[in-house]
Amino acid sequence: MNFTGDPLSDISAPIEELSTSLRSPGHVIDFGNGVYLTPYIFWLIIVLLLVCIGVTMCVKKVTLVPKNKFAGLVEYGYDAVRRNMGQEGVGHGYEKHLPFLASLFFFVLFANIVGLVPSFRTPTGTLSVTWALALVSFIYFNVYGFKVKGAWGYIKSIAPKGLPAPLVPIIWVFEFVSLILRLLTLAVRLYGNMFAGHMILGIFAIMTQAFLIDAFVGAAPLLALPAVIWFLFLVLMYALECLVAFLQAYVFTILSAVYIGLAQSEH
Amino acid sequence: METVFVISALKVVGYGLGAIGPGVGLGLCGHGLCVGSARQPEMAGKLFTNALIFGAMSEALALIGFVLTFIF
Repeated sequence: MNFTGDPLSDISAPIEELSTSLRSPGHVIDFGNGVYLTPYIFWLIIVLLLVCIGVTMCVKKVTLVPKNKFAGLVEYGYDAVRRNMGQEGVGHGYEKHLPFLASLFFFVLFANIVGLVPSFRTPTGTLSVTWALALVSFIYFNVYGFKVKGAWGYIKSIAPKGLPAPLVPIIWVFEFVSLILRLLTLAVRLYGNMFAGHMILGIFAIMTQAFLIDAFVGAAPLLALPAVIWFLFLVLMYALECLVAFLQAYVFTILSAVYIGLAQSEH
Repeated sequence: METVFVISALKVVGYGLGAIGPGVGLGLCGHGLCVGSARQPEMAGKLFTNALIFGAMSEALALIGFVLTFIF
């Protein structure tokens, strides 16, 4: 990278590079024959192992009062899923959905948090992963809707009850479109938040670097002042991203829970 | 080159326009949640779940705009 001494002309190339590397990353492991692992899938596998090993290690010996500190932590998380998402999101008959919701929550949470470590990639920062997660949730709540209400009952229940007869087909079409859009919004909400967050962190880091190096290259000490301000913004955004990583995992799981509850309930 | 730049800039402007409505919607949703749970704190849990459903509904438009900026 060449630094010319003018920060505004130095930032466009790194930002372009960042955008390409986030949207179409290279290969981490190449198996040949066009089969390869992108960084996202590489970290996806690591997160999967982390969640499996971490959770099974913590609850290997389940005791009434958790002795292991990490067991207490995992049980606290599971209890939060049970109370906030199970009881209030799904409602009646939530117990059998808890394993699904808890694994979804822990997986998305770990995947989001892994991306906060510098030079790691968040698996949820690519649309293919969030698309797959949303598809799992979408199929799950539709299958439970079919199971509880029967095929015709579920199709009828897409439009709310108590409508005047001529309105029913129109409202049904609208509600059906909104049902399909749940798949899209679940996937894109998670992807958009993680992708945009990392893009902003990257841009702020590039700004800090460009201003700081150009202060040395151009021998202009005043340029170091914006670098300090950009760095403060970077720290603030990083704190915000820590919140967003948790919040998006929470929102993804509670929306899945609410959709399961809506598919089951008689309304 | 100029045309490509103008089109890619217009995509962002379109997304900004599309985010106005959901922004107002989410604000109203949060306002309702705060006012409702201040008046009746024992209903806060149920109101929060409902607020999330309607927040998700109004957010859908902004998310569609976000996807469209990538597609076109």
